[in-house]
Amino acid sequence: MLSQLDRKLWRDLRRMKGQVLAVAMVMACGLAMMIMTRSLIFSLESTRREYYEANRFAEVFAQLKRAPNWLAGEVAALPGVAAVQPSISVQVTLDLPQLDEPASGNVRSLPDFAAPELNRLFLRAGRWLRPGSRREVLVGEAFAEANHLRPGDSVELLLNGKRQRVSIAGIVLSPEFIFESRPGAALPDNRTYGIFWMPYKELASAFDLDGAFNYLSLTLAPGASERAVIAELDRLLTPYGGRGAFGRADHPSHIRVSDEIRVLHLLSIGFPLVFLLVAAFMTNAVLSRLLVLQREQIAILKAFGFTNRQIVVHYLEFALVMVAAGTVLGTVAGILLGHRLVLMYHRFFRFPDLSFRLDQSALPLALLVSAAAATLGVLSSVRRAARLPPAEAMRPEPPANYRPALIERSGIGRLLSHTFRIAVRNIERKPMQALFTVAGLALATGILIVPNCIRDGVTEVMDFQWDVLQRSDLSLGLVEPGSVEILHLFDHLPGVTTVEPVRQAFVRISFGPRRRQLAILGLPAWALHNRVLDATQHQVVLPPDGLVISGKLAQVLGAHVGDQLLVEALEGKRTTATVALVGLAEDFAGVAAYMNVRAVNRLLDEGDVITGASFTVDPARRSDFLRALKDIPRVTWVAIKNSLRENFRQTTAANIGLLQSIYLAFAVVVAFGVVYNNARISLAERARELATLRVIGFSRREVGAVLVTELVLLSLLAVPLGLLLGTGFSTAIIRAINTETIRLPLVLTHGNYAFAVLVVVLASAFSALLVLRKLNQLNLAGALKAPE
Amino acid sequence: MPSCAGALSTTTAPTQVFRVRGLTKVYGTGPAEVRALAGVDLDLFSGELVVLLGPSGSGKTTLLNNLGGLDVPTTGELSYRGLDLTAADEDELTTFRRNTVGFVFQFYNLIPSLTARENVALITEIATDPLSPEAALEMVNLGARLDHFPAQLSGGEQQRVAIARAIAKRPEVLLCDEPTGALDVRTGIVVLEAIQRANRELGTLTVVITHNAVMAEMADRVIHLSDGRVQHLHANANPKPASSLNW
Repeated sequence: MLSQLDRKLWRDLRRMKGQVLAVAMVMACGLAMMIMTRSLIFSLESTRREYYEANRFAEVFAQLKRAPNWLAGEVAALPGVAAVQPSISVQVTLDLPQLDEPASGNVRSLPDFAAPELNRLFLRAGRWLRPGSRREVLVGEAFAEANHLRPGDSVELLLNGKRQRVSIAGIVLSPEFIFESRPGAALPDNRTYGIFWMPYKELASAFDLDGAFNYLSLTLAPGASERAVIAELDRLLTPYGGRGAFGRADHPSHIRVSDEIRVLHLLSIGFPLVFLLVAAFMTNAVLSRLLVLQREQIAILKAFGFTNRQIVVHYLEFALVMVAAGTVLGTVAGILLGHRLVLMYHRFFRFPDLSFRLDQSALPLALLVSAAAATLGVLSSVRRAARLPPAEAMRPEPPANYRPALIERSGIGRLLSHTFRIAVRNIERKPMQALFTVAGLALATGILIVPNCIRDGVTEVMDFQWDVLQRSDLSLGLVEPGSVEILHLFDHLPGVTTVEPVRQAFVRISFGPRRRQLAILGLPAWALHNRVLDATQHQVVLPPDGLVISGKLAQVLGAHVGDQLLVEALEGKRTTATVALVGLAEDFAGVAAYMNVRAVNRLLDEGDVITGASFTVDPARRSDFLRALKDIPRVTWVAIKNSLRENFRQTTAANIGLLQSIYLAFAVVVAFGVVYNNARISLAERARELATLRVIGFSRREVGAVLVTELVLLSLLAVPLGLLLGTGFSTAIIRAINTETIRLPLVLTHGNYAFAVLVVVLASAFSALLVLRKLNQLNLAGALKAPE
Repeated sequence: MPSCAGALSTTTAPTQVFRVRGLTKVYGTGPAEVRALAGVDLDLFSGELVVLLGPSGSGKTTLLNNLGGLDVPTTGELSYRGLDLTAADEDELTTFRRNTVGFVFQFYNLIPSLTARENVALITEIATDPLSPEAALEMVNLGARLDHFPAQLSGGEQQRVAIARAIAKRPEVLLCDEPTGALDVRTGIVVLEAIQRANRELGTLTVVITHNAVMAEMADRVIHLSDGRVQHLHANANPKPASSLNW
């Protein structure tokens, strides 16, 4: 049964439904983002955890040259090791009839007669390999999908120089390849790179690895130290060409998912916080106005014996209804958007089943956070109203005290119109209200800047990556390091205009206690295909000695130009040397180390060898060139710039675009909500004054001008402030995204600022129109009766 | 500037300003229907001061609102100098109010953020042949409080600013709805003096609503309204000056 006070609550709310809706919408935007991002985090984290557990994803990984199988037993005996899975992992070249260029892949071995101990596969389609079968493979889903391969189809693999047609038994997923990408490539190209699994016996005999393994995964015993196990493992594997073991934190597929989760964490806090702050301002504005209007009603309630507490609760209920409406709307929107975004992740991440999972802890949290924001926003004014002695409250509020505004006292008052005077004096008389409005509007303007800043940053990175740094049309890798002589062969391929050597070498770089494992890129001193640029965008000429590394890597290592870094080769003769850090490079994706190609070869104590090359090619003869590459067995992979770029545009850019449009839509809703709410309050407060003006002969337009002037003045204050705030928000977010895998430059364009201003102006114009329409419905005769 | 105001007094023969016939105004429909005016016949002439008397709910305010173009009647004739107010659209009514009518309300309805002078100037800026704000305020004896804000004025002073605002455009019609309703006797008389002075010096047709019968003594004509109709109407041969009233 509704109490009479509840009845009053609902009727009052119905009268102010426009504003209730505006506040609820802003709250809903914040909560939707929070619920969406937190649920995505929960979905990704829990799905990954379950996948890892169910399929026994390893915790430490090591690549080596070749070790006898009995060594795996020794590894298993190491303290802290729980289970070990030795296997073979080799790079192969593929010939796909539908592709111009050669494709490549990674083939892994599977035990011949049992399921693997670790990194078990998930069968998506088809069947498992039959024990003892030959010429059968399992293929990873991303590659199969990109090339429309089905169980029963066949592909041609180049196994250790020998062409072999194999048939696809099944399409599988692996916890090691949630993100399928060529090692070292910043961006995936699932069309030209795939993962395959074959029986151990067949793969071992093709690569002369009978009774041996070259890849090892293991899990840790509970409580074991990963660091200690890795150190022991490296000690054991070094004689067998171990390239340095690494944990999950350095596992490429694991990192990609973790990075996504980290960005989501960032988004789950920053944006909702700002939105809820705006909502708190709005609630305060709406309720302060209501309390002034209902001053006499409060007095009557108190005169009849309602306690202060009952009155405080009654008015807090107004705020809580808005919170409840916002929570319901926000939850529904968050769940719907979450479902949509999870589908998008299917394009990047391969899980057996990644579906949207609502983070249920987000709901009470959302309710709590928004209720706290709303309560904070209104508590002080509600308590002030409740404390008013009834006799005093019963009298109408005395006419407001005004004085000439500061701007008039400064002497230019004579130039001002009456409309303008009314507006500035109103603003000056209620500075807190004006401040809240300006703050809300400024925040709304500010959050409009961020999504576009991220979009512009991504565009800039890509332009920088593909137009400034990478000037070649394509690059390729060789199966094994080979003599530089092969460049002559490359040079004579059809359509080649320029070719440059690339020497990649896996190393560990240490400075003091800090170390990182990565591939040094050996390039010509004046590399024109893979340019190395410094922070001022000038090309760094690679000196005959010394190392140039990404600025971010230097930061991570704590090294400065001039410091001596320890470089340990993880391949070949496993040489170790101290190399001077001679320069820092500006790059945005991953971290890199560059060296003169001769210096790399000297460091590794090898002759003039290269591991790949980069090309510029006459576009007219591109197909000829690619076909010719297919006939060079030593070429293991080819990366075509334009196809990477297109791939990026369709996947990552589309992903960022979707997120950006969601956030932008929310920011627009907030801008509209704040402006509309403000205009409505202004109208409600001034209804009597405006009606009087209408009665004494002012036209609608003239009266509208009084209302709009105040709105315009506040916007003029708020918008520049908002642009400043937006710059701050963007800087903070871009700084936070500054990680080793991806960094974004802070790009703030005039277009971005102009867009924010435009949205606020449009929101203002639209709200003004809505309010002006209300103005036309003013009851003129009613305004002349006793003040409310 | 009383001399200036004096020059404005009119000596021409009274002419018909409003013609009202069979005027009805119905609010709401069905069982909620309220008949505020149930057929009013009335003529109002230039320069006269008319007091409209009647109990609450008799239709005084509705009639005044219709005369002032704030509201349109449901049926009947209502014309101002031949202009049919029942057929006028919103813009025409605004123009009518702007150029012809001055309003004085029970609760003054001043703009709190403007000073006395500015409240008056607000009107003089949009009128075609106004008094200066200072002259209008002088007429209601507020020449000394030009730059005070409403909150710094007493109720009577605020009401006199409202009168100054109403007469500053030299309206042909001055409509006052309970102008002394919120004031004590002494202050009320000062306000009535101001209204009477404006009526005499500017020759404005002045209609004053009240339920205070004493005020009838200052009127040229007194109209009694009850149940939405004119009950009776009498002319006052010797209207008294407002200063001699007492209640």
